[in-house]
Amino acid sequence: MLKLYHWEPNANSGKPMLALAEKGVEYESHYLDLLKMDQHQPEYLAINPDGTIPAMVHDGRVLTESTPMMEYVDAMFDGPPLRSSNPKERWRMRWWMRYFDAYFGPSVSMIGWNMFVGPQARERDPEEMKAAIEKIPLESRRIAWRKALFNEFTDEELAESRRRVIFSIDVLEKHLTRHKFIAGDSYTLGDINGFNLAYALPFSQPDHCNDEKAPKIMAWLRWIYARPATKATWAKGRTELASRLQLLETKN
Amino acid sequence: MIELYHSEPNSFYLKPLVALKEKNAEFKSHYFDPTKFEQFAPDFPHNVESDLQLEREGPLLIDGGEIISSSFFMLEYIAEALPGTDLYPGDGYTKYRAQAWGQFLGLALGPAVAALGCAKYLGPVLKTRGQTELKAAIDKIEPIERRNAWLAVIDGSYTDAALKGAAEKVKFPVKRVEDWLADNTWLTGDAYSIADIDAFALLSVLPDLTPEIVNATATPKVMDFLKRMRDREAVQAALAMSKTGKPQEFFVPGAEPSRWG
Repeated sequence: MLKLYHWEPNANSGKPMLALAEKGVEYESHYLDLLKMDQHQPEYLAINPDGTIPAMVHDGRVLTESTPMMEYVDAMFDGPPLRSSNPKERWRMRWWMRYFDAYFGPSVSMIGWNMFVGPQARERDPEEMKAAIEKIPLESRRIAWRKALFNEFTDEELAESRRRVIFSIDVLEKHLTRHKFIAGDSYTLGDINGFNLAYALPFSQPDHCNDEKAPKIMAWLRWIYARPATKATWAKGRTELASRLQLLETKN
Repeated sequence: MIELYHSEPNSFYLKPLVALKEKNAEFKSHYFDPTKFEQFAPDFPHNVESDLQLEREGPLLIDGGEIISSSFFMLEYIAEALPGTDLYPGDGYTKYRAQAWGQFLGLALGPAVAALGCAKYLGPVLKTRGQTELKAAIDKIEPIERRNAWLAVIDGSYTDAALKGAAEKVKFPVKRVEDWLADNTWLTGDAYSIADIDAFALLSVLPDLTPEIVNATATPKVMDFLKRMRDREAVQAALAMSKTGKPQEFFVPGAEPSRWG
């Protein structure tokens, strides 16, 4: 059976979780606690030496990049297609997934790590955390953990992240005015990707992502949230992260 | 007929040219000079995606009225939409590998290559231009990240420390490719694919930009890969579209470095 090593239904972990649920693929779930750094323990490093989450093991193959991982799921399993057969719509899906992953996502996560991961990590013994950080394989992840743990995000960095998030809300609202879904007329991995990074916007950016200012985004989020696969996936959440979805139940 | 807006066949401009040549596809070439900001002319094609593309100044492919941007996804489009040689062979896992390489190299190597190339070649070119007009042209560029990428070339952002940091960033992805090629012929395994075209466009400039990191002694597999790529007719045909004769010296601002450090 396919094995998925993941954290919360959120961001990168949530992408393959929701894609698998939409395809109706049963999988062996291995929950890793990001805040306890389960992903840097030897047992997991034996599967993914980079120590990043998620990782998927299928037919002896190990996949560690969450967005290409979703395309693999769609290509290899039966179930409803999650990519258009139209090459232009596939291109648009991929373009937007990169925009979510490399522009919008890092800004959202910087704010999230500053507000959520950092304070929780600081509740632990600092010396223990320092030692744990030194064991992280990728330099980029060591930097991220140091910044979160020691609260090293500057005001300028956080302000720029907020600017990019608000800018992206406007860009996405206009996009969803032109197209029903991210890739075009049908629900695809692009929507799954975007939902995982944007579902908490009504919670984190209530002044900018609301029914008055961003009605297309709100309707899009509610449509995805109403899907059985989404509800089943977010029910797997163990922390308060997943509860942010409840705002999508307040209307329509 | 497909139209391609490109400049000198180097970095991201090189990728679709090689792929189209591999496909023996007919296309109309629109050669432009991004250092003269021709991409901001009123009649230059653009859409939301090309305006906001994270490579900033990359090529544009127009097919059936759709403007395709972002070079790796453009390669996927060419591979999937056009007839001819299969540039995306294999099953879902082989394609996963291609996408994973494209994502990894684009994010881990792309920004460093753009910074090192712009510092070495574009900076001196822009210094020969009228600075008042140059600054005025840059000040009009939107979005702000695209404007800032141009400003960085002329405002002293490329300090020795910054360039040393960029060179350091090259080491990790280069080692990963070197290690992979010790056991594999191509980036996805046994078959040539768009992943190789993508990697070649980023790696081929490194023996010049970072000779202490990419050379025959330190990275023999990468050097052999580059030679095998240059031996391909499609690569030679793409490089022959240069108008300067020195495509390897042409750089414009590209993807920004990770904001996480």
